Amino acid sequence: MTTGTRAGLDNRIVVGGHVSTWRELPEPVLPSPAAVLTARPADALAAARHHAGHGTELLLASAGRVDQAMRDELREAGFTVIGPEPDGGHAAPPVRARPAEPGRLWLLTSGSTGRPKRVGHTLESLTTVRGVQPARTWLCPYAPGTYAWWQVVTLSLTQPDQHLVVVDADELDEWPALAAAHRVDAASGTPTFWRRTLHRDGAALARVPLRQLTLGGEPVDQAVLDQLRELFPAARISWIYASSEVGASIVVHDGRAGFPVEWLDRRMPGRPTLSVDGEELVITSPHHGAGLDGPVRTGDRVQVVDGRVLITGRLDSDEINVGGSKVSAGLVRGVLAAHPRLAWARVTGRRAPLLGRMVVAEVVPTTSDDAPDEAELVRWCADRLPDHAVPRRIRLLPEIPVKETLKSDV
Amino acid sequence: MNELSRAHIRDLMSQVLANQGRTLPDDDAADLREIGFRSLDFSELALRVEDATGEELNFDAPGLRRIATVGDVLDFLETLQRQ
Repeated sequence: MTTGTRAGLDNRIVVGGHVSTWRELPEPVLPSPAAVLTARPADALAAARHHAGHGTELLLASAGRVDQAMRDELREAGFTVIGPEPDGGHAAPPVRARPAEPGRLWLLTSGSTGRPKRVGHTLESLTTVRGVQPARTWLCPYAPGTYAWWQVVTLSLTQPDQHLVVVDADELDEWPALAAAHRVDAASGTPTFWRRTLHRDGAALARVPLRQLTLGGEPVDQAVLDQLRELFPAARISWIYASSEVGASIVVHDGRAGFPVEWLDRRMPGRPTLSVDGEELVITSPHHGAGLDGPVRTGDRVQVVDGRVLITGRLDSDEINVGGSKVSAGLVRGVLAAHPRLAWARVTGRRAPLLGRMVVAEVVPTTSDDAPDEAELVRWCADRLPDHAVPRRIRLLPEIPVKETLKSDV
Repeated sequence: MNELSRAHIRDLMSQVLANQGRTLPDDDAADLREIGFRSLDFSELALRVEDATGEELNFDAPGLRRIATVGDVLDFLETLQRQ
């Protein structure tokens, strides 16, 4: 077993309702390099443990994220592609075999700009929690092989008393019951994941004995933090900015959206340096993916409001130009999300005469029988935003849309 | 094209103003500046017409003319639907 990966071997793992430990997981036979495409969380955990023990070169992804063209691309790049059959028996050999790179782990990024791309890591670079942690039972709702999934998995693999309850994609709507049954006291999810849970069954969520709640993967607004705080007044509520490119770079525990402006351009050994260039967040991080040394332009847009640096969304989609006035979709979304009878909002620009684009929104009410109407929401926004930033067409949706990554493209 | 009647467009215009807490006068000669109908409102009305007809309006076709009254707005959007 590689140094540093023994400590968690006796941690409890609950997957598919079955309780075991890392040590008891079945040992797969994996070539190196291998791309394991799996639909089953247990297979993904077994592949991760195999990598931790043997250091074989591994790319792990859920089968749904990899199309035939990507499979062909992986075989061209020297991978044996395994899965998605549960027995792992359907292995497609590489088109061109090559020597394996020991210890290398590959992640597929979310591919917000189009096709997913590979980013090289190691178990070491993915392990960002190193200090001694209080005993916890963690929920893992993420799709196998994503950066967020590895964060929870490496924590459980490398630290004692960090147990894991894995939620399968088809159990996602009922996770609070599963989590309460297995005494989950720490959970990490996207803001969309938390909003969806609050919206579906806040009472069931309140029965989970959570002491640590973590949000990440999408812009985090104050409304969702406040709603979670109301339900869990004594818990630690944190948000994390992390990505496969720059690793976990920002961790905020004070229950507020954004981070203090004093954190900008602060240089500390072994810690990421956060900067802003124009309106873009730039991060220089010791946890970079391979080949990404130096400052990395994140593509995320920031705005400083009341001494906090708010991450409002992607640069290429956050800014809406309304007749020459710039509007941040993220800030408008924050205003809508703060409405007491809304559970979720998405804000976009729509082509419009005279102005080029107008701000429009889609929202999900907290309850369908007490949904605010368009006029009420327009007034709510008009009281809090400049005229050109007020969404003028607001469509009500019955359910919060969510993708496999637990994000909703807000 | 699923063309909206002048009365239907008037209803939509009334809705745009109602969302702003204002009222659309009955008189087509009413001055847009006096009732506070601005370019944001005009653009919103165009989107509402597009949503109701399911088709995009082509604003490049006629060139924007002088629009000063409620009647001008209704005339313009009626014309635009026929382009």
